[in-house]
Amino acid sequence: MKQTIVVIVEHASGQIRPVTHELVSCAKRLQQNKASVIRAVILDADPAALAREMADTWGLEVTAVRIPGLTSYNGEIYKSVLADLMREFEAAYVCTAHSSQGMDFAPALSVELNAACITGVEDILEVENRTCFARSIFGAKAVAHVRSQSDISILTIQPGMFRPQKPDKPVGGSVTIRSLKCESVKTRSMGIKQAEADMTGITEADVIVSVGQGLGDKENVALIYQLAALFTKSAVAGSRIICDLGWLEYRCQVGVSGATVSPQLYIACGISGSVQHVMGMRSSGYIVAINSDPTAAIFQVADICIVENLITFIPAFIEVYEKAQSEGDQNG
Amino acid sequence: MKILVCIKQVSESESPIQIDEHARWIQTDAITGYKMNRLDEFAVEEAVLLKEAYPGTIIDAITIGPDRSAEVIKRAIGMGANHGIHIVTESDGHQNPFTIASRIADYARDKYYTLIFTGVMSEDQMQGQVGPMIAACLSLPWATAVIRQQMAPDNKYVYVEREIEGGSRDTLQLQLPAVLTIQSGINTPRYPSLSNLLRANKQKLETIQAGDSVQPKLREKVVRVAYPEKSRSGTFLAGTQREKAIRLLKLLRERALLQ
Repeated sequence: MKQTIVVIVEHASGQIRPVTHELVSCAKRLQQNKASVIRAVILDADPAALAREMADTWGLEVTAVRIPGLTSYNGEIYKSVLADLMREFEAAYVCTAHSSQGMDFAPALSVELNAACITGVEDILEVENRTCFARSIFGAKAVAHVRSQSDISILTIQPGMFRPQKPDKPVGGSVTIRSLKCESVKTRSMGIKQAEADMTGITEADVIVSVGQGLGDKENVALIYQLAALFTKSAVAGSRIICDLGWLEYRCQVGVSGATVSPQLYIACGISGSVQHVMGMRSSGYIVAINSDPTAAIFQVADICIVENLITFIPAFIEVYEKAQSEGDQNG
Repeated sequence: MKILVCIKQVSESESPIQIDEHARWIQTDAITGYKMNRLDEFAVEEAVLLKEAYPGTIIDAITIGPDRSAEVIKRAIGMGANHGIHIVTESDGHQNPFTIASRIADYARDKYYTLIFTGVMSEDQMQGQVGPMIAACLSLPWATAVIRQQMAPDNKYVYVEREIEGGSRDTLQLQLPAVLTIQSGINTPRYPSLSNLLRANKQKLETIQAGDSVQPKLREKVVRVAYPEKSRSGTFLAGTQREKAIRLLKLLRERALLQ
């Protein structure tokens, strides 16, 4: 029997989210393993145009479910509509994004379908001829390989891990539109409040000096500013934990729930390197990581790794820099 | 109002992570210390803030884990929870989120909680599944990554803001009872008070042996644990601190990243 792999189209404000294309490429990786068919599903009050776009881009069979009143994501509606559809399609795999939407409905949907639920999937592997999914654990210090033991598996796919390779001449795309009356009884959506924070300070910098829990004390933030001051067009940023502590403002936060940055140079000071943080900075040009823990996950994504306490290393670096500057002046 | 807060004991973030000899899970005896999952502290604090705003509110704190995890219940009581429930497991290793959610749902089913809180995820397994799963098991509405919550005056609804991409917020009104997973930064978790800690030490926790709770069939399994692969060269600088500083300066200058 042919397996069905379903991709849940993530969209917001009338646009398909880039991660959706990564979900299709993840589905194609799964398809290589066994003969199977990929279908995309989109839920919205007015899904026709986006469904067409998915069908034309990928040559996929797209099921568009028109649900009056569904102008933004609603967990209760997603759970109940998708549960029925997945049963009808006899889905073997459901690919959703590891995003604020996917992380919200996937676990609840899995309960409804007696399905496996594997969140934050970063890779697909074959272990002893069986499909396994790799996901980070313990602050990305280790990776778990997880195997489904159910007929249906719901996956939330970490954005940025599956490169979308769109076909040049997609063929065979089709759209089926269904209309469904479905009201959420217990969960009423009240709209989206747009972000107030202005992130341009860190997204436009050429050099970012970023700080994490290794800072130890709020007063040490001054050191980070001193280091940043050596560079032109630099900015100070931080991991979520630093912003939660109130040591930096949230507009300085790099990571999934903050800004995605790609400066020429990213200096990570005392940052452990959780997946959430790394997703926001891994496309930086050159990455220097300073951390006293030699096993910190940040070293896996860095070009240069320095195992030192940032509290003593940063002043040492500034001293070396200033000495070199003054010698340069004398020579010049 | 009755609130159930679900908390977890995890290893200290600085604790080294060593994979066991069969590569099945983390070597637990290499872990140097344990603490309450940092993200659960926000859930406990949010419950305590509600208790302060609504006198008469009762907070139950529940955890599932081996004997040592009773410590996090004591901490939650130290922060202001009233009662503690410990579902005691024999195993020290990996716990499946659906098993945890089923056991908590089974406990909560006839207890008339108005709100059930969890942290947004655990720092060790990072799955973020238990909250929505409890909601689904009990047919309750839920919201994840809640960064603000406000009870409606009639106590029939809760207004929530959940954090979505790019710092925007999705706003919802949920019918009570409801399950909320609490995002970090919603509040500033307090330290346990001495008087509460003394009470916690005297107070008897309600203990349930995991074997006496529900035993759902496992739907997925961790078959192997590995160290992560490097995505860049990851050159470690050697020498004294000063030598490393000199080397770093040279590297940055070679790449014209520093004048």
